[in-house]
Amino acid sequence: MVEILLLLIKVIFIIVIYLFIFGVIRLIYLDIKSMNISKTNTMGFHPYFKLINQRDMLGFKVEENYTLDRSVTIGRQDKNDIVIKDPFISEIHAHVSVEGDMVYIKDLKSKNGVFVNGSRVDGDQRVLLQDGDIIKIGQVKFLFVAAGK
Amino acid sequence: MLGETTFRRPLLLIAVFNIIGYSFLFLSGEAYNWHIAALGTFVTLLICTVCLFIIKRNAGDEYLFLIVSMLLSIGLLVISRLNEGLGIKQFIWVLVGLTLFFSVYFVYIRVSKWERFTYLYIFLPFAFYLITLVLGKNINGAVNWISIGGFTFQPSELSKILFIFFLASYFKQPDMLFLKDSRYSEKTKVIVNRVLLMLVTYLNIGFLVIQRELGTAVLMFLVFLIVLYVYGRDMRTFFLNSALIIPGLLASYALFYHIRVRMEVWIDPWSDITDKGYQITQSLFAIASGGFFGTGIGMGRPDMVPAVTTDFIFAAICEELGVFGGVAVVLLFMLLIYRGIKIILGVKNRFNKILGFGIAVMFGLQTFIIIGGVIKLIPLTGITLPFVSYGGSSLTTSFIALGIMQAISNTDMDEAGGEIYG
Repeated sequence: MVEILLLLIKVIFIIVIYLFIFGVIRLIYLDIKSMNISKTNTMGFHPYFKLINQRDMLGFKVEENYTLDRSVTIGRQDKNDIVIKDPFISEIHAHVSVEGDMVYIKDLKSKNGVFVNGSRVDGDQRVLLQDGDIIKIGQVKFLFVAAGK
Repeated sequence: MLGETTFRRPLLLIAVFNIIGYSFLFLSGEAYNWHIAALGTFVTLLICTVCLFIIKRNAGDEYLFLIVSMLLSIGLLVISRLNEGLGIKQFIWVLVGLTLFFSVYFVYIRVSKWERFTYLYIFLPFAFYLITLVLGKNINGAVNWISIGGFTFQPSELSKILFIFFLASYFKQPDMLFLKDSRYSEKTKVIVNRVLLMLVTYLNIGFLVIQRELGTAVLMFLVFLIVLYVYGRDMRTFFLNSALIIPGLLASYALFYHIRVRMEVWIDPWSDITDKGYQITQSLFAIASGGFFGTGIGMGRPDMVPAVTTDFIFAAICEELGVFGGVAVVLLFMLLIYRGIKIILGVKNRFNKILGFGIAVMFGLQTFIIIGGVIKLIPLTGITLPFVSYGGSSLTTSFIALGIMQAISNTDMDEAGGEIYG
């Protein structure tokens, strides 16, 4: 009985170490995935978000540019394509869909809402973004730059 | 709230690891050992606080310290199991190391243009070697310790980092460090530079060999070769230097008795099992007796292996945590080095890039050399396993190197921001 218990503890002990390793690998994977979006070398061909805030005024990591070469979600959770750890941003905050030359933004039932040029996006509505629109999510303000601009 | 918990889950697992480990130690002894319980509590609290501090303050890359804190936990647990007094001492060294880690981190960010101090990086190691030769104390056949006010310290550990600083300032603009404003032609300048680079490198290695510090000498040479291969301008210098390995090995085999012993023991430890081959065979027995999941913390006899808390700690880990535990340690080091390389890929400042690369390579090679030695894959050279082995000099030096790495992972973000605004 004691031996079985001992074996069990030993196995659990080793499993904890491996769970830790997989946890770190997963975090690093998510980190790299979100890094691809902020690459700037494809700029000009795709629409992108440009940060308006001064980066050092914000207490969390935000990139200068987010390229929109496909549809993305924005939020605080690591699963999102664009991860921003702003406490005023919900876990899955907004969805940006890219359909050809058209880019739409949709609020995913976030607490503090998505604002385009100062007006809040309604719950089920999708808003078509124009070049030069200002999008406010939490404390972060982005300038939308359309493709080819 | 879910996002927050997944972000901190690995940290939670470190806490669980420490709690299981120390309660096992606490209950398995004859009497309840309150020292161990106190140590375990402090270790868990300390590591969690530091990790949370780095995440909250946004102080550079948060994965580096996460990986290192797991290695630290494994090391501290195994050391406290082997020798309770050493465990408490090691905990104090961890505190010293963490203080150094944060001070190096903040100082490295504050001071700009570290390449200004090139001559310091060249001459300070030599000063250390000379001091060691004069004041040196003989521990285990190697004259590489100096003793200041009761504390023994190994200056060659610091020279290792200074040498990487030197390499970084040399390769910042390859072959242009010395004789910048002289009248010689470009070609002679390049040749003189390369000769001086090799001179500094081999003087470093020569002093280490005189002190019989083989492990560090080999480590320095390999770091030099790899940095030369990655950042050097032409391949001829690299091939010339790598061709020196064979005559170097033959000469040291012929000249030094202890190198001959190491080689003989590596090829056949069984013929002289009671004397020269004792350490390595005991280590192999310890690893073999572990099996898949190990004997359990406190259940094996790793204390049979000489120098088990320092150089041979990997044998103790393999015995008590099993092959899976040993592989986990190797995996953690792989992740650490991967993370280092990943950080330097994004760095724009060339000096920082080479420095970070050198440090990542140093951690990797140090792990390879000692684990390879312990499992008899390569000849044994006495060197410590970073963050795991017992030892003040080794632990503080590893923390200094980690502090530099952490600073590099942070400053670059600021610089990139500046470039885009400008």
